[in-house]
Amino acid sequence: MKDMGKGKPFLEVLASAIHEDYRFPFLELFAFLYALGTFVLANFTVSVYSQATTNEAIAYTVTTSLISGSLIVFILLILKNVAYGLGSDLEKGIIQSYFSYPLRRRGILTAKLLSALGVSLLLFLGIQISALYILAPDIVLPQFGTVLLTYAANLSYPLLISAIMLLMTLILRRGGIALVVGIILYFAMSIISGIAFVVALATGSPLALQIVSVIAPSYALQYHYGGLSGVSEVFSVTWAPTLTETLLYTGASYVIVASLFVLGYIYFSRRLNL
Amino acid sequence: MKRWKTILGRGGTTLIVISLALLLVSIIPQLQISGVEGYVPLLPEQVQIAFDSQNLNPQQEVELAVTVEGTLKVYLLEISVEFQFVNGTFDYGFNLTDLQELLEEHPDQIIWKDQVENGNYERSYTPTRIMNATVVFYNPSSEIAYVEYDVTLKSGLAPGDKVRTIAYCAAPIGIILAIPWLLNSWKQRKHK
Repeated sequence: MKDMGKGKPFLEVLASAIHEDYRFPFLELFAFLYALGTFVLANFTVSVYSQATTNEAIAYTVTTSLISGSLIVFILLILKNVAYGLGSDLEKGIIQSYFSYPLRRRGILTAKLLSALGVSLLLFLGIQISALYILAPDIVLPQFGTVLLTYAANLSYPLLISAIMLLMTLILRRGGIALVVGIILYFAMSIISGIAFVVALATGSPLALQIVSVIAPSYALQYHYGGLSGVSEVFSVTWAPTLTETLLYTGASYVIVASLFVLGYIYFSRRLNL
Repeated sequence: MKRWKTILGRGGTTLIVISLALLLVSIIPQLQISGVEGYVPLLPEQVQIAFDSQNLNPQQEVELAVTVEGTLKVYLLEISVEFQFVNGTFDYGFNLTDLQELLEEHPDQIIWKDQVENGNYERSYTPTRIMNATVVFYNPSSEIAYVEYDVTLKSGLAPGDKVRTIAYCAAPIGIILAIPWLLNSWKQRKHK
């Protein structure tokens, strides 16, 4: 009975958060972009010819080809929900009104994050995996583990950005700066990875790539499936992390993401004076 | 009750827009990558490779159109045949013995097999994984078969029929789910 008493306010806050984050027609617009982006920007021809040699590598390249187009839409949605949505809720006093509910602060933040990230993630993965199944069922089903690992590795960095944006929004109590930082961080990764690649080639050591892979394990996965093949012989850089190492990089990145979210929870529960 | 109506309604509108996106994807025309056409007399028991593609992927489609005078067996096989220099000429390293061996020992590599007698034949194939594909003609009769054929390899965003079918199924479900919520929203707006 006690749990039911707590469950209802949680659902009330969750419903209210979903209503705020996905006002008509935002959900529909993003669903349309996800579906269209997934098919229009996927290019199996290029990915298949480039590096795929094993069934796992084929599943990886096909999945990556599908992710690349829709990931920017996912980033846009979480930028809107976490930075702009939560920021304006703090500014307008909507979060303060939730405090009157018989619900702990962490419950309120969980409801907000479930709406901002959970629904976006559900929509993204739902459309992506359905599209993969429509296009290539005989690649996806036998290699479902590889497909899931590819998604986990590719989503780690966007989730890291959202955790940083959450912290910034809570500390600054507005979302404008967090939004700008989120956009910069998203584009910065491609620059940082480019620099790490050049450093690795110049020094002959994969250390820079390994450091980048801790926060963006999609690079470790890329190198696991032969991202440096051809170049490695010329510049004597050899970095082909094993599957276990790739899993470790992915795990480490999620530990960082989880730590930042825990910091956000602690700040929201104990330090945020509203 | 009102909340459920909203949840189902928004789910419905989301399904509608996904269907619209899929319909849009299905009407984007395919691009022809390559094609082979020809007119050949096939001697009795003769085998002819009409088309060979390596790394055919799920965004590609093989389309075959054949007109036959005589009897012809058409196979689409999941094999890759080598083009090699044999007896002073370039030809595929695949003969009747290879075909018979494959049909008996590896029936799993037969994607389709059809027999055509004095008529037209059209068929297309979209793979569901990365694979090799070879179109083979075989004349099983004791008379010469005259074969006019056109094989094209096309590339698109997605298999149009499959995507269109999903869109046609999802859109009505979306409309049914969305109508109560849309009516309710319209009534509220009118009331205000």
